[in-house]
Amino acid sequence: MASKLNESQQLATWYFTFAAILFGAQLLFGLVAAIQYVMPGFLFEIIDFSIARIIHINALVVWMVFAMFGSVYWLLPDETGIETVGIKLGKLLYWVFVAAIVVVVLVYLLVQVGPADETTIWFITEGREYIEAPRWADIGIVVVALGFVANLFLTGIKGNRSGIVTVLMADMIAFAGLYLAGMFFTDNISVDQYWWWWVIHLWVEATWEVFVGAIAAYGLIKMVGAHRQVVEMWLWIEVAMLFGSGILGMGHHYFWIGTPEYWWEIGALFSALEPLPLVAMFVHVLYDWGKTQGGQDAKGESVSVINNKPAFTWFVFNAFGNFLGAGVWGFFHTLPQVNLYTHGTQFTSAHGHLAFFGAYATILIGMMYIAVQGKNGIKVMKNTTSSILAVSLIVGGVVGMTVALTIAGYVQVLVSRAQMGATWAGYFDGQAGMWFAQGMDWRLIMGVVTFIGFLFLAKDLLSIGKAAHHER
Amino acid sequence: MLDPSLIRPEIALDDFLPIFVSSALAMVFGGFYVGIYTAVKVEMLKRWAMPFAYLFWMLTSYCLYIMGSLMHVGEFTAKALIVAMIGYLLLPHAVYYMQHQVHEENED
Repeated sequence: MASKLNESQQLATWYFTFAAILFGAQLLFGLVAAIQYVMPGFLFEIIDFSIARIIHINALVVWMVFAMFGSVYWLLPDETGIETVGIKLGKLLYWVFVAAIVVVVLVYLLVQVGPADETTIWFITEGREYIEAPRWADIGIVVVALGFVANLFLTGIKGNRSGIVTVLMADMIAFAGLYLAGMFFTDNISVDQYWWWWVIHLWVEATWEVFVGAIAAYGLIKMVGAHRQVVEMWLWIEVAMLFGSGILGMGHHYFWIGTPEYWWEIGALFSALEPLPLVAMFVHVLYDWGKTQGGQDAKGESVSVINNKPAFTWFVFNAFGNFLGAGVWGFFHTLPQVNLYTHGTQFTSAHGHLAFFGAYATILIGMMYIAVQGKNGIKVMKNTTSSILAVSLIVGGVVGMTVALTIAGYVQVLVSRAQMGATWAGYFDGQAGMWFAQGMDWRLIMGVVTFIGFLFLAKDLLSIGKAAHHER
Repeated sequence: MLDPSLIRPEIALDDFLPIFVSSALAMVFGGFYVGIYTAVKVEMLKRWAMPFAYLFWMLTSYCLYIMGSLMHVGEFTAKALIVAMIGYLLLPHAVYYMQHQVHEENED
């Protein structure tokens, strides 16, 4: 039986739906780009690699932003005890956001390149990696983000302001504000890159990670009944550690872009500290799950405390994935002495794939399952065959891609950098090697596995709520 | 002909694999350290498992030492790594202590 959602949670389901569609688009265009590594003539002059890559990465960023907004709209009434203030504005902005994204993607696909003047910047693409949206869309994104932040703040101020909501209020204003740093050009490429990293790094390794901490806290209270005071204290520790290490950890992006040499020391020190909060977040899940289950067991009731198995599975993968993808694969090449060789190789790509998936995709998919549970009025939601296939294929596929890219990156480090001195010839020799080529083949195969997993995920999200084996 | 000045001599070719493996293991062993420590504290593991947590911390430190040596890190970075390892040893204790206090306060 479907339960009646309040308006904020209804809006959240809209956000999650569009996020899932963009997630599919991200994977599809990732496959196109992966095929082009293996068969360079594939879709030549129809969708060139540069376009497939733009859509692959931008769709990734945007689906996550949609799912983040959806997560906040979902948890706000639960946390504050009131309906989201300004929900009508929220709904209007949702449609503005969707329309803008559809137009931007159509322009990427149908127009692709411009005359490389102001027209291109304003209407086709700004050309800045990862945030290529044209300037009109940039302005639109800022308007939508500010509207979202206003909804969050007004609701937080009027309703019960829990620790989770307070952290989200601070985090989201930084999230929206930092986007401004990527909206202007300077003639000096070093200065330009300096500010561009404020968006890329400070989003991903500071504000997004804090967001994950807040969502994990909410999920643990919701799914295993973890003690709020304990969970929120963890959250504050994580916030302190994440901002403490993550903000100046940005130094590891400043090693080779023409910034002063003191960034070597700053980057090395804070990058060495950056894995610590990720370990803390991993322990957070273990601690709260262990404590709550232990309390249940002590009562002599051997019943699982988890009331949403699919969501909790994704949350556990988040704890592991964040640690592995952002922590281990990041630490591999974060110190300047070794980054000199790994920078710009497939190592970066391996890290990017596992970190974005492990740290963000997992927990946002978990939130989608929480919304499905709430929407269908399910007391204890259990896995279906599709849930298990989806998580197995997606996790297996992404880990497989990561391993393949790591091997390819290792070849580039040895051949292109160490042996050939980062020369033009070295770049091509590195890519011509058998191990690199096979790495690209396996990346494509594992990408297909991931996409099949996504199809199961989409099917499951659409149908799991109707399954009869849940406790209602 | 490749200009010899282009070749970066800082890290020997044979040292790259040990560097990547030791840095990965530093993180994995570090995860085991805090994981076992927490699991013992929340009674998911027996108390006799605790020495293994510290053993993993030692392995983490050793891996970091190998990594730093092979990379030929500078004096500052070497000090930063030592501080990070000491911090890492203390961190779970401090966090667990705070957790425990909060639990006690809320359960009384």
